[in-house]
Amino acid sequence: MANDATRSGKGKILILATESCAYPGANSVGQAHSSYPANTYILRVRAPVLFPEKFYLDCFKKGISGIIIMSCGEECPYEGAYHALAKRIDRVFQMMKAHNLDIRRLRLTSICTVCNRAFLKEVNDMNALIQELGPPEFKEAA
Amino acid sequence: MADNNQKDPEPKVGVYICHCGGNISDHVDVAKVAQEAEKLTGVSVAHTNMFMCSDPGQELIQKDIKDGKINRVVVASCAPSLHELTFRSAIKRAGMNPYLYDHANIREQDSWVHHGDPATEKAVALVAAAVSKARHLEPLEPIRVDARNHATVIGGGVAGLRAALDLSRRGIQVALVEKSPFLGGRVAHLNRVNPTGEKAADLIRPLAEAVCNDAGIQVYTCSRVVRFEGYVGNFKLGLKRQPPETPEDLAKLEKWAESGKKEGDYLPFAGYYPQKVPNTAEETEISTGAIVFATGFKTYEPRKGEFGFQENPEVIPLPAFIEAVAKEKPKGGTLTLNGRPIRRVAFIHCVGSRQIPGLHEPDDQGNLNEYCSRTCCSATLQAAIEIREAFPETRVLEYYRDIRTYGRGQEDQYERAADHHVLFFRYEPEAPPVVERAAGGTYPLTVTVKDTLTFGETVEAGVDLVVLAVGMEPNPIQDLIEMMKLPVGADRFLQEVHPKLRPVELANTGILLAGTCQAPMDMGEACNAAQAAAVKAATLLSKGYVELDPFVAKVNEEKCTGTGACVSACPVEAITLKEAEHQGKKIQRARVNPALCTGCGICVAECPNNAIDVMGWTLKQYEEMVDAIVAA
Repeated sequence: MANDATRSGKGKILILATESCAYPGANSVGQAHSSYPANTYILRVRAPVLFPEKFYLDCFKKGISGIIIMSCGEECPYEGAYHALAKRIDRVFQMMKAHNLDIRRLRLTSICTVCNRAFLKEVNDMNALIQELGPPEFKEAA
Repeated sequence: MADNNQKDPEPKVGVYICHCGGNISDHVDVAKVAQEAEKLTGVSVAHTNMFMCSDPGQELIQKDIKDGKINRVVVASCAPSLHELTFRSAIKRAGMNPYLYDHANIREQDSWVHHGDPATEKAVALVAAAVSKARHLEPLEPIRVDARNHATVIGGGVAGLRAALDLSRRGIQVALVEKSPFLGGRVAHLNRVNPTGEKAADLIRPLAEAVCNDAGIQVYTCSRVVRFEGYVGNFKLGLKRQPPETPEDLAKLEKWAESGKKEGDYLPFAGYYPQKVPNTAEETEISTGAIVFATGFKTYEPRKGEFGFQENPEVIPLPAFIEAVAKEKPKGGTLTLNGRPIRRVAFIHCVGSRQIPGLHEPDDQGNLNEYCSRTCCSATLQAAIEIREAFPETRVLEYYRDIRTYGRGQEDQYERAADHHVLFFRYEPEAPPVVERAAGGTYPLTVTVKDTLTFGETVEAGVDLVVLAVGMEPNPIQDLIEMMKLPVGADRFLQEVHPKLRPVELANTGILLAGTCQAPMDMGEACNAAQAAAVKAATLLSKGYVELDPFVAKVNEEKCTGTGACVSACPVEAITLKEAEHQGKKIQRARVNPALCTGCGICVAECPNNAIDVMGWTLKQYEEMVDAIVAA
C-alpha cells in the first residue's frame, strides 16, 4: 500500500520523541485535536542519545526527508544525556555536509509535555523545508 | 499450548486494532488497517475490536495466546501511557512474557490529528513499524529492588494529614513534612465547611491530634525538602528545619503567643501547633520508599485596582472576610466589622478564576488562571447564608458569572441563599461589576453592573463592603518541581499521569498526589485523593520490594572486546570492566549493574562494536521501524 506521502512525493519526516517530554507533548497536541501534516512518524525513545551518528545518515540514505529530534532539552531526566546528544548532533552535521545533505533536514529541539504550539511549529517548519528541498540525495563521502 | 516465552525463530505477531468507540474508527478505516497488517511479515492474526481495553478486547488477545496462534502482540489504540500496563497485564495473565508486546499510537498521534485516507495510511505505517519492532522483541524480566517500608508526605494540610494517618494505619512508617509551624493548612483558615456546616476546627483538630499521637508518624514542622535523590523504594530526602521567617508564619505565631495556648492545641485561623519552633537551622536526611505531595494551594491575590482592591479599604478577599466574621458573635441585627455596621455586603464571584486572555491581566510571569477554582461559589454562598442567619439586618448581594455549586448537597445552598433573600446579579466577563467610591450618599461604595438576569439592565447599588471570591493557585513549589523533575500542567498545578485512569500518580514512579497541589478541589475531594494516594503508596511498598521495568543496558558478550567506551560514557557509573575468559584468553568485558543503570542508552551509541543495547529499546529495533516506515 503506497502511502499518500510517498505517492505525492511529499517526503517523510521522522520524529524521535522522548517518552517523558516530547512524546506526551505530541499526545497533548492530539488531545487538542490540532491538525498537522500526516507525513510525520513519531518514534518513542527514552533518550535520543542512544542513536549513533550512523543511524541518522542511514535514515537519509533510506529516503527519510527530515528528522526532528524532540528531546527534553535541559530538562532531560538522564544526567549528561542532553549535552552528549548535542555534541553528537554537531558531529552528524559535519557528516551530513560531507554527504552533501542539507543540515536543516536534521533538527534538534526541546518539546515539553504541553508544548503544543512549539510542536506544531517544528513539524510545519520541517514540512515546508522538505517540500522546498525535495527528496534527500545522499552522496558517498569522498 | 505453545511456549510463548522463549526466543522464537519464527515470531508470530498478533495485531489488534481498536475502534475506541469511534474515536479512531471515525477517521481511520480500521478494517483496512487490519487487512494491510495481515500482509506483513511475521503477522499471524489481525483483529479489530470496539474497545481493546475492555474485557472482551483483552480476552481476544488472551485466546490467541492460549491457542498458540501468536507469540508477540501489537495493539494499535490510544497513547501507550494509558493502556500499555493494561495490555501487558492481560498478556501476562495469559501466560506470555508481558514484554513481548509493542504499541501503535493511532489515536492521539493519528485519528485525532489527521482525517480520511492520510489517517488510515499513517495507521498502516505505524502498525507496520510496531510489528517490525515486535518481531525483534525478547522476553524480559522486571528488575526487583528492595523498598523501604517508609513514606514521606510533603504538606501538613488536611490532605497531608489524611494521607499520613492512612499510611500509618497500613503499617507504613511516615514522615510528615510541613513548612510552617502549624498543621491544618488552608482548612484551618475556614470557620464552617460547606455544605455540612461543621466547624473546620472540629475536623482538623482530631485529625492533627491523631497524626501527632501516632507512633508511626514523625512530624517535621518548619521543615522543607532541600535535597532529593534515588528512585522508587529508595529515595533519599534532605530536610532543613529552620526558624519561621515568612510574614504569615510570624503573624500566626504572634497570635498563638497571645492566645496563651501550649503545644498540642489548636487555634482557629492558625492551625494545630504540634511542637516548638526551632531556634537554629538544622539538616537531617531521611530514607523513604514513596513520596506523597500534599503541598496545597494559595489564594489568588487580586491586582491593585481589581474591583477596587487596595484602593478602597472596604474591598477585601473572602478569606479575610470569613476570619473577620468568625470573631463576631451572632447577635441578630446588623453585622459589625471593626466597629463599622455592614448594612449591605456585595460578593463578587470568579475573581482570579476563569480568566480570559485579552480580557484579564496576566501576572508578572504572564500566567492567567483560565480554570474554574470550583470551591468559591459554594464558599461564597456559605458565607452569605451565615450572614443572613446570624445578622438578618445585613443585606447580601451576589454578582456572579455562573453558579457552580457542583457537589452533593451544594445545589441546595443556592436555593437556601435565595430563600434567605440573597439578591443575585449575573454579569458577562466582558462587563464585570464596577466598584467605585460613592460620591456622597449613605454607603461608601457603589457597585454597578449590567445585569443579564434583567436582560441587560444597568443596576447600581450602594454597599458598605465588597468581598472578592478569590480563586485557588498552586502553592509556589518551583524548587521541588525542579529538584524532582515533576510534570506540571499549563495551569501550573502538578499533573497526574491521567486525569481519569491514574488520577493520583505522577509519571515519576513512587511520587503521588494528594489534594490541591493537583487542581482546585474541596476538602472532601482532597481527602479522597489523599486516601487514594495513601493506598497507592502502601500497595507499592507493602511487598518489601518494587519491580522496575527491565529497560536497562545489556552487554552482548559475543561482541564485547572490552574497549571501555561504554564505561567512560556512562554518567551514573553503572558499567564496569571485569576480567573474563574468551577462547582461552583473559580479556576485559563490560558488565552492567541493572540497579544503577537508568536505561538512557548513552553507551549504545558509544560502543564501536555495537555490543551493548538497552533491552526493549534496541538500535536494531529502531532500524527495523525506520525501514517499515520508509516501505509503507
